[in-house]
Amino acid sequence: MNFKVRLGLVILIVLIMFLLHNSFWLWDLDARVPLLFGFMPFAYSYYIGYTILAVLAMRLIIGLAWPDPPGNLFEQSGHKKTTNSRH
Amino acid sequence: MTNAIGIGLLLSYLCILVAIGVYGARVSLKTREDYFLAGRGLGSIAVFMALFASNITAFTIIGHAGFSYETGYGAYGYVIGWSIFITPFTYYLVGYRSWLLGKKYGFATQPQVFGGIFNSKLISLLFLVLLLYYTLPYLVVSIIGGSLAFTTVTEGMVPYWASALVLIGISLVYTLPAGLRGTVWTDVFQGTLFLVVAAFLLSAVARALGGFSEITADIVESNPVMLQRGLSEELAPINWFSYSFVNSIAVVVFPQIYTRILAARSSANLKQVSMYYPIALAVIFGVSTLLGVWGSVAVPGLSGKDADNIVPLLIHQFLTPTWMVLGLVVVLAIVKSSIDSQLLSVAHLVTDDFLPRFKRINSQQAVLWGRLLLVIFAAVAYYIALIRPAAILSIAGFAFSGFSVILPVMIGALYWPRATAQGACAALILPSVALHLWYLGVLPEWTTLGFMPVFPSFVLAILTLVIVSYLTPAPSPEQREKTFGLFGQVFK
Repeated sequence: MNFKVRLGLVILIVLIMFLLHNSFWLWDLDARVPLLFGFMPFAYSYYIGYTILAVLAMRLIIGLAWPDPPGNLFEQSGHKKTTNSRH
Repeated sequence: MTNAIGIGLLLSYLCILVAIGVYGARVSLKTREDYFLAGRGLGSIAVFMALFASNITAFTIIGHAGFSYETGYGAYGYVIGWSIFITPFTYYLVGYRSWLLGKKYGFATQPQVFGGIFNSKLISLLFLVLLLYYTLPYLVVSIIGGSLAFTTVTEGMVPYWASALVLIGISLVYTLPAGLRGTVWTDVFQGTLFLVVAAFLLSAVARALGGFSEITADIVESNPVMLQRGLSEELAPINWFSYSFVNSIAVVVFPQIYTRILAARSSANLKQVSMYYPIALAVIFGVSTLLGVWGSVAVPGLSGKDADNIVPLLIHQFLTPTWMVLGLVVVLAIVKSSIDSQLLSVAHLVTDDFLPRFKRINSQQAVLWGRLLLVIFAAVAYYIALIRPAAILSIAGFAFSGFSVILPVMIGALYWPRATAQGACAALILPSVALHLWYLGVLPEWTTLGFMPVFPSFVLAILTLVIVSYLTPAPSPEQREKTFGLFGQVFK
């Protein structure tokens, strides 16, 4: 898959996560959903679920659009030269 | 506080910090890159704890608990909900590309990375000025917040001026000799300590209050508003939405966070950090939220600044002296881990990006200058923390927003080859000016359309970057090649 398409999918994931954070239409459930494990109200337990989703989303993003640099990328590095020129 | 075990624990904690400083100084090379970037050799755990500890301030356990005390469980999602995902995502979005450029060209700070991308000394200077302008008041506020917390936890036995002196003094003990390596090692130690102690603290408070379910049942009966976000004025949807642009996206712009990303050894380290970061944020703020909400049942009737004392009050009311000392250690750990990283980053910025404009500095001299500046900034911050001038405190009030509106330029520089130096300059200056005009009340409130000023400023930054870039000549192919040629070899 082309990198631009993969980047597009990453943007889609971000938008979904943003929407799930700003999910005002679910706020009515704060009063209606029973306490999770007997002590966690919906407004709190929702973000426990959101955390698990965030880990999965990051895992997906890493798989989609986070390639490691090729082995020789830093071999002809400007690093030494640039660093010295600043000294 | 006179409990022998507790005092022994406190002394052991301080001895470990001193030992880290001494050992860190022995193994460090006396070079610029080693002192400020730990030789770009930080592994996953070191980067993770360094970012996490620098990200967590006195607000996490003191201010956030106070906010939760007043607003209920909704405070959790409001303050940290979006951060749980977007903060680690920005480590990918901005962090990884910056890390590639840093590794390739030896860049060590934002002024170097973004000045380098645009080949512009003005961009470099603007980044330097804005980062110092927002970081210094934020540093002072961290010291003030931490010192007040320290004084409260010790029941006034350690006065405010001495608390500030202790916090800054201990931070310097390991930062001065060992630089970034010293702060990172203490971050690993302190980060682990405060996650473990905070969890134990929560269960101890829960036990003292009759158990998890019992406390929640009390809240449902006595104050059901704490469970419903829709009933809170503070958490109104427009505030909730606007707050998404305040602290969560600002984190990667903090120089102390950005530098630690550049210090990672490999791409794999950054990936691991980004994947597990949500859990650490959720745990620490989750604990703080529960302590705050539970406090509203255990110690009712507090408001405003008194509510911010809820965690120290819970510790005093329900825990044994040994737990009290552990609570004190957690407060110390949280506050110091942000103060040391902020101090080091401002010293780093001035050493690497300001002094070379006037004087040629070699690698060894840079370490000496860095140490000297650390002491100077520490002394200045201490003095300002004592007199607490209103101007500094008001800048700190919108420092997070100030950092946030820098982000569009950073993203534009790393992703959009058409972005120009002129566009970036305008997009750094205009939104910052607008933000000041809104916060100082010069621009009427209705012009924000009901949002917090950070949101329209953020939109203004994007529009300015795009419009001015299209109105000015495109960057030369050589200039683009330096950045996007490199990215082209990685992102295929």
